[in-house]
Amino acid sequence: MKKRRAYSAAAVLSVGALALSACSSGNGGGGGSSNPSGGSTTAASTAKVQTITVGTAADSVGPAPAVAGAKKGGTAIDLEPAGINHLDPAEAYVNQEQVIGQLFSRQLTNYKIDPTTGKTTLVGDLATDTGTSSDGGKTWTFHLKDGLKWQDGTAITSDQVKYGIERLFSSFETAGPQYLQQWLTGQSDFRKVYGGPQGGKSLPDSVLATPDDKTIVFHFKTPHADAPYAMALSGSGPILKAKDTGPKYDTAPFSDGPYVVSSYKPGKALELTRNKYWDAKTDPIRGAFPDKWDIQLGVEQPGLTQRLEQQSGSDKDAVSLVQSADPTQMSVLAASQYKSRLESNYQPFVDVFNINVSRIKNVKVRQAIIYAFPMQQVQTALGGPQQGELGTNLIGPTVSGFKPSDPYGKLTKPLGDPEKAKELLKEAGVKNLHLSFAYSNSGQRWANVATTLKNSFAKAGITLDAKAIDPTAYYTLIGKTNNPYDLYRTGWGSDWPNASTVIPPTQDGRLVADDDPNYSHLNDPKVNSEIDRISKITDLTQQAAEWQTLAETIMKTDAPEIPYLYDKYYNVYGDGLGGISYNSAYGTINPNTIYVK
Amino acid sequence: MLRFLTRRVLGAAVILVLISLVTYLLFFALPSDPALLSCGKNCTPSNIAQIHKNLGLDKPIIVQWWDYLIGIFGGRHLPLGNCPAPCFGLSFNNQTPVWALLKDRYPTTLSLAIGGSFIFLVVGVGLGLVSAWKQGSVFDRAASSVSLLGQSVQIYFIGPLAIYLLSYKLGWLNRGQDPSWGAHPGSSLTGLVLPCLVMSVIFWSNYSRQTRSLMVEQLSEEHVRTARAKGMGSRYVFLRYALRGAMGPIITIFGIDLGSVFGGAIITEATFGLHGLGNLAVSAVTQQDLPLEMGVMLIGATSIVIFNIIVDACYALIDPRIRLA
Repeated sequence: MKKRRAYSAAAVLSVGALALSACSSGNGGGGGSSNPSGGSTTAASTAKVQTITVGTAADSVGPAPAVAGAKKGGTAIDLEPAGINHLDPAEAYVNQEQVIGQLFSRQLTNYKIDPTTGKTTLVGDLATDTGTSSDGGKTWTFHLKDGLKWQDGTAITSDQVKYGIERLFSSFETAGPQYLQQWLTGQSDFRKVYGGPQGGKSLPDSVLATPDDKTIVFHFKTPHADAPYAMALSGSGPILKAKDTGPKYDTAPFSDGPYVVSSYKPGKALELTRNKYWDAKTDPIRGAFPDKWDIQLGVEQPGLTQRLEQQSGSDKDAVSLVQSADPTQMSVLAASQYKSRLESNYQPFVDVFNINVSRIKNVKVRQAIIYAFPMQQVQTALGGPQQGELGTNLIGPTVSGFKPSDPYGKLTKPLGDPEKAKELLKEAGVKNLHLSFAYSNSGQRWANVATTLKNSFAKAGITLDAKAIDPTAYYTLIGKTNNPYDLYRTGWGSDWPNASTVIPPTQDGRLVADDDPNYSHLNDPKVNSEIDRISKITDLTQQAAEWQTLAETIMKTDAPEIPYLYDKYYNVYGDGLGGISYNSAYGTINPNTIYVK
Repeated sequence: MLRFLTRRVLGAAVILVLISLVTYLLFFALPSDPALLSCGKNCTPSNIAQIHKNLGLDKPIIVQWWDYLIGIFGGRHLPLGNCPAPCFGLSFNNQTPVWALLKDRYPTTLSLAIGGSFIFLVVGVGLGLVSAWKQGSVFDRAASSVSLLGQSVQIYFIGPLAIYLLSYKLGWLNRGQDPSWGAHPGSSLTGLVLPCLVMSVIFWSNYSRQTRSLMVEQLSEEHVRTARAKGMGSRYVFLRYALRGAMGPIITIFGIDLGSVFGGAIITEATFGLHGLGNLAVSAVTQQDLPLEMGVMLIGATSIVIFNIIVDACYALIDPRIRLA
């Protein structure tokens, strides 16, 4: 799914106020608890939300926090169903690429995770802290630590960081995030301003300066309070010019992390072995306990889940960093025998059904559709609560400022409220409403969802015409602004724990274009102006609260989407591994605390 | 024979060129845009345009196809890198030369094909021969039942069952792994036993029934009766006269099946987590990776064509009338 492939660099933050109790059976939690949706839940399905805070310079000092019982050595195995499309940090955007990339590439900042409490802190990775801003948030300065080295022993300097940032502009770097390029140039079509360093051209000091070997200064066109988070994206790090092989770097990157790429067969296997020049004292994030990582790619489901369940032979040292269990196996894993090695936690993705505002122009009709929507039945059809928790907010529970909100009472009536839907349709003067529903024909689950929706909408007097679309063409077709569908499913995750990476891209009507993530085509001038106002707020806590308020307002007044599921990671790992912790910033298992027993 | 082979090889080349053209046209007939998969999350029109240029999708389809064909023999300079001959393009997803991916995956497919086909040929034909020899016996009836069962089940059903029982529970066999004959010959062999056995089941059932049926038919032929009447031994007549007559159709089926398995066994590979051409084909299609699709398709088509030629040649050797046709 595109959500999995392209929406990834999600980050999870709850600055202070997220009083979400939950448990992870893998980490000693237990029993029922309240959940972000406000509804009841079970121990097996409940996930845990960690508060992410911005750390200090002291938090940024290595080595990484100690892991109880950890020892160095052994080979840890990671099983993944998909191949890794990009090893080049500049191209990494999918969470699989980002979390595995952490093992061989470092950024200016990154997420430090306490293996015992799960507490997550944004700290300086290569940088001594999370940066210092001036000029009203337009200028950001970072200083590099001492003792940083590449895999050949070459010292890491600020001009290499500058080269790494310049390289993001190159014509072959198309898959990665574009925040820094757009912030530095002030243009979405940033290559018109600067085309990358290949021709020997460099960004001027007025844009990106390196006054000395240890300092790099970013001059953005507009204030960006969340720049420290953008510096945790994979591409926000150095590249050694002498080792830059252009597009070929994507399969053979040069390491500044604890491991080097010793062998890579695309779609099949990636082997990482120790980088002797990596100094743990400089790294507050990575424990790097195993001597080797054996990353096995293209391991199909349900075989992947069965291997983890059975943990036969070397599979006892295996984990899937990214992949949840096969939906057919999730209920099996809820059994008590797996409790000691089960991880269940929120991912930063929110699944929604988009209502095509270009076609369904009457807001009362859109609200009627929301009322009629049977979210619990859809959840069941997709695999049950282990896979995702019922959610009614455009912003997921893992994002800063999140508050449970349910303007349509969906959690009270999760099977839908056909009577209320009929009432609204009557008020709107609409009779015999026909909806065209497009779904990706990627498996029986979605056919089941289509049937469920058809039956539920019929109770509200709505006729659903379900159209199956080939999975490879799904996003192309629903991404057209003139698409012929009224209802379709998409998903979105934040790139870092601020809804600035959720609300503007998905709700700003000025961005509506083919393939743009505003799939509902909402273009409300009030929403657009609110987006502009909130974006300028420099206090991140205040900004987060304002995004939440705007998200609620959009749902109440515009009703362009039906949020229905907060995704979760849910899988077991082998008994031979210890120190399992969860990276809620990426929605994956954290490899940096794992050791082989 | 040389003329025969030359004629068939030239015909095969034309078929392969046509297949490549049809695949190209079909790919672009789909409404999907492969550039979207390389465009990141907040995709912009300018980024899409850049990707089209990088992947060569900004050229007319027929020009792309012609460049592709020429590149196979002469190599190409592509926007994202050099691609030496034989150039099957660079993968849209990771810019790796498709030829390198095919070379990396083919040993698994080859090993699976050789191992699996050896088992299904020996077991299938063997069962069929014994059944024909002992028509109406308990063995014959049991073999027929087992063959029927084999034809009825699917790999995605018996595969996981076999892994669970023979590997996870009893620990008798490796659950399946890619071979690495140079580095680990022992584990390469043990890692292929279960996949080959399971893959062979659906094939040998067919061979068993076909062989039995053909042999029974041959045994009632006049030349067999004549041989018996001359006083030749039953076993000699069975193997020398009846079996030879039954060989033609079996070779035909075997040739077609070999072509298929050498082109990649998608379900077997998926079930056992193997990384052969079948696995590559699935990822090529799901990721809309045209160069990879073309590469896998051409290897698969070439395998089928080659084995068809071999079958025809064998026919010609067995039956001189074919050579004259």
